[in-house]
Amino acid sequence: MADSSGFEPKIVAFLCNWCSYAGADLAGISRMQYPPNVRVLRVPCSGRVDPFFILQALQQGADGVLISGCHPGDCHYLTGNYVARRRFAVLNDLLQFCGLEPGRVTFTWVSASEGERFAQLVREVTDRVRKLGPNRKLKKE
Amino acid sequence: MDKVARLRQRAKELLEKQEVVGVLGYRASSRPGISQVAFITKTEEVDRLIFDATCSQNLANYLLKVKDKGKVAVVARGCDSRSIVVLLQEKQIERGQVYILGVGCEGVIVQGEKSVSCRSCQYPNPVIYDEMLGEEVHFEPEKVEDEFDRLTPDERWQILSAEVARCIRCYACRQVCPNCYCPVCFVDASMPALVGKTHNVSDNMVFHIMRALHMAGRCVECGACHRACPMGIDLMRFNRQVAKIVRERFGLVAGAKPDEMPALTVFKPEDPQEFIR
Ligand code: SF4
Ligand code: SF4
Repeated sequence: MADSSGFEPKIVAFLCNWCSYAGADLAGISRMQYPPNVRVLRVPCSGRVDPFFILQALQQGADGVLISGCHPGDCHYLTGNYVARRRFAVLNDLLQFCGLEPGRVTFTWVSASEGERFAQLVREVTDRVRKLGPNRKLKKE
Repeated sequence: MDKVARLRQRAKELLEKQEVVGVLGYRASSRPGISQVAFITKTEEVDRLIFDATCSQNLANYLLKVKDKGKVAVVARGCDSRSIVVLLQEKQIERGQVYILGVGCEGVIVQGEKSVSCRSCQYPNPVIYDEMLGEEVHFEPEKVEDEFDRLTPDERWQILSAEVARCIRCYACRQVCPNCYCPVCFVDASMPALVGKTHNVSDNMVFHIMRALHMAGRCVECGACHRACPMGIDLMRFNRQVAKIVRERFGLVAGAKPDEMPALTVFKPEDPQEFIR
């Protein structure tokens, strides 16, 4: 699986307890195959994902970050993901502005029934980050 | 009567009638070209008040420091008044606590030049006030052409990381900002520590990204932080960018309308989500 340089990206995933984590769980119990590069952190809601979490993951050496919550309208707390969406939009634009490579940080919605979608996402994200190479910009040396 | 004479007269009247406990404005300092913030509580001191292009501080910041003394009159241009609107929206002050003496502003002059933030100013006149001192001001704001957007991500990173690498983390930018008022700032939080305190590029960049993000939908582009920075860091580059993102994505301008809420405290189900995979 590794490319010629042997680089295997480390990806940190923040998954909302109610949808995306359950989706990842479904992918697991359905024995779907996806790359082992992702380290999952369970959060109560995508609204709980402080932009600091994302930046700190990158500072501490993650090559990519995946953030996933419930689809709009499906939030367990009704509007957590709507508020988070605005915050993520600004953060994402700001990171692009600063010159972070597009694709290092990925925002998605995954529902509890979308095990296959989760597995597919992890494949995609891992692939993209592998092509981008190691995170050098925000990493704290 | 010119606006300074009017300001002094009104300050005197407001204090005499005890409508306010003090007047927040500016006075001359011993250094030419620089004025000081003044909190005038005695009628015999009202003649110290001035208002001109050297008045560079955002008084909304000082309002937070004197608001517990009672009702305060405050001199406010466009940007100060927008900061006051943000403070009202965020329930840091109540409308009845302030008496706003509005002034039109031609821009702040620092070392012989119009401040960067003032050149493109769209709001020289206050958006809320109790009375206007003198006439409204009208001028064509300069267009700030940003070549920066057209650079590649790597080039942008190079430029910005070189810029923030100079930051000594003195936090003067935070201290002068009227809308940075958290009792415990994220840079001071220690349990858990949210951002490293060193001034290596990674920590500095995270500080600047988070400072900008916290100001999204709240920064009124007054430029006070930029003028306060001892390292001459181009903070307006970040501030202008967040204002642009918020304007383009959500159609909101910080502090422009008292009945709107800051962009990141509200949402619309149909907000754009093209960036979500
Ligand atoms: S961040 Fe700077 S420009 Fe924006 S409101 Fe605060 S002091 Fe003014
Ligand atoms: S005032 Fe300038 S040097 Fe001080 S913390 Fe802010 S950006 Fe850094």
